[in-house]
Amino acid sequence: MLGKLLKHELRATAHTMLPILGIMLLVSAMANLGLRFMDGRSVPAVVSVMCTLIVVIFAVGLLAMGMVAVFMMVRRFRDNLLRDEGYIMHTLPVSVHAQIWSKVIVSSLWYALTGAAVVLSCMLAAADIEFIRSVGKALKEFMRLMAEDVKNIELLFEVLALLVLGALSVSLSFDAALAVGHSFPSRKMLISVCVFVAMLVLSQTAAALISKAVNDTGLLELVDSHVTGFMAAWRAVCAYAAALLAAYGAVCYAITAYFLKRHLNLE
Amino acid sequence: MPTLKCTALTKSYGRVKALEDVDLTVEPGRVVGLLGPNGSGKTTLIKLANGLLTPTSGKILINGLEPGIESKKTISYLPERPGLPDWMSSADLTGFYGDFYADFDPAAARDMLSRLGIDMKSKLKHLSKGSREKVQLIMVMSRKAGLYLLDEPIGGVDPAARDYILGTIISNYNPNASVIISTHLIADVEKVLDDVIFINHGRIVLASPADELREKQGKSVDSIFREVFKC
Repeated sequence: MLGKLLKHELRATAHTMLPILGIMLLVSAMANLGLRFMDGRSVPAVVSVMCTLIVVIFAVGLLAMGMVAVFMMVRRFRDNLLRDEGYIMHTLPVSVHAQIWSKVIVSSLWYALTGAAVVLSCMLAAADIEFIRSVGKALKEFMRLMAEDVKNIELLFEVLALLVLGALSVSLSFDAALAVGHSFPSRKMLISVCVFVAMLVLSQTAAALISKAVNDTGLLELVDSHVTGFMAAWRAVCAYAAALLAAYGAVCYAITAYFLKRHLNLE
Repeated sequence: MPTLKCTALTKSYGRVKALEDVDLTVEPGRVVGLLGPNGSGKTTLIKLANGLLTPTSGKILINGLEPGIESKKTISYLPERPGLPDWMSSADLTGFYGDFYADFDPAAARDMLSRLGIDMKSKLKHLSKGSREKVQLIMVMSRKAGLYLLDEPIGGVDPAARDYILGTIISNYNPNASVIISTHLIADVEKVLDDVIFINHGRIVLASPADELREKQGKSVDSIFREVFKC
């Protein structure tokens, strides 16, 4: 059933997210044209204002893209599972776990696509023949580095895995805050925001305490004596960050599942 | 095996008891009216049956199963509030219900939608409120479910729409299934009911076959309801 939930979740989110990403790419292309048009030329004031406006929209849009993606995913989770649509979704013959996973996987996918769209937008806005050539060169160099040593590919996968874990944990933290906030009879969004802030503070405190405890055990010195070179140090940091992210994600998941199962309050 | 069986079922919200010690049995093939004033516990009982709420104490079984994934496969539920995503079309919804419910009959749904003149490709947000409610009812009644839970299906609609809704329910439900219709508009549903359950302040006040009740008291269920729940 997770596959079917994912299919419908993708469709539901795509009809809002794809136009947003498409508009961003279009604005980027227009910003590119605007910048080229104004470059060292004397243009009428109206054209100049329009071009400047497009560049400003592009810059603001670029900054807002991440927030828009988060806002859309948070709204989707709330509307689909915690408001009227919840009457349909929670009476489907699927587990709460499948419901949460479908939301988290699709949210993470959109976060990744938004990130990719931001990079692509920057490239589009700055693109000229020389830029495209330099991107091509950078890609070639990247492929050469990957082919040179299998460790480089491992490193790439480790970074990607860390990013995926980060996206999943971020999604789960929003979901957990919403699930707790919406179990209250009123002021649900306000309580959700407060819960989210409280979770952030608690998680930071817990991470600091864990780091101190790890330090006190002498484990860091032990690791330090075995870790030599940049790669090994990087891996140790990655493993530590992954463990913390996984622990935070697991706690958020447990909170979300518990509140959706035991304290669902759709009205 | 009863379709629905409640044993000492209680649901509390803090100190407030929405349902208290409810013992109830609904047999297969019966159309049951769950009748009570607003806030009497009708919706709470229906939500407990389909797993939207968990009991504080007591037990509720659907075809011998506790509310969960297996019981949800056999329950067709019409919520009091319209919950269909308005960006979907009727065709999308038919696909959605077909994906999740093995007992969903897409041909029956398409037939009912076409008789209503609803374009399968129109998004729900482009339909009137009444049409959206009818689409939701059609999706619910296009399943060959074991238990239909219909929460206020005729609340807030005009008399002509009420006739359409009741007609759709009676001509489409699986005859081996039970139908529970929660409402406070007794006069409109009385004619279709086999059994009536009066509920007030979270307790079952009366449960009886409709004909037996009418015969015994020499009045319509609506008149008896008005007497029992007189303010």
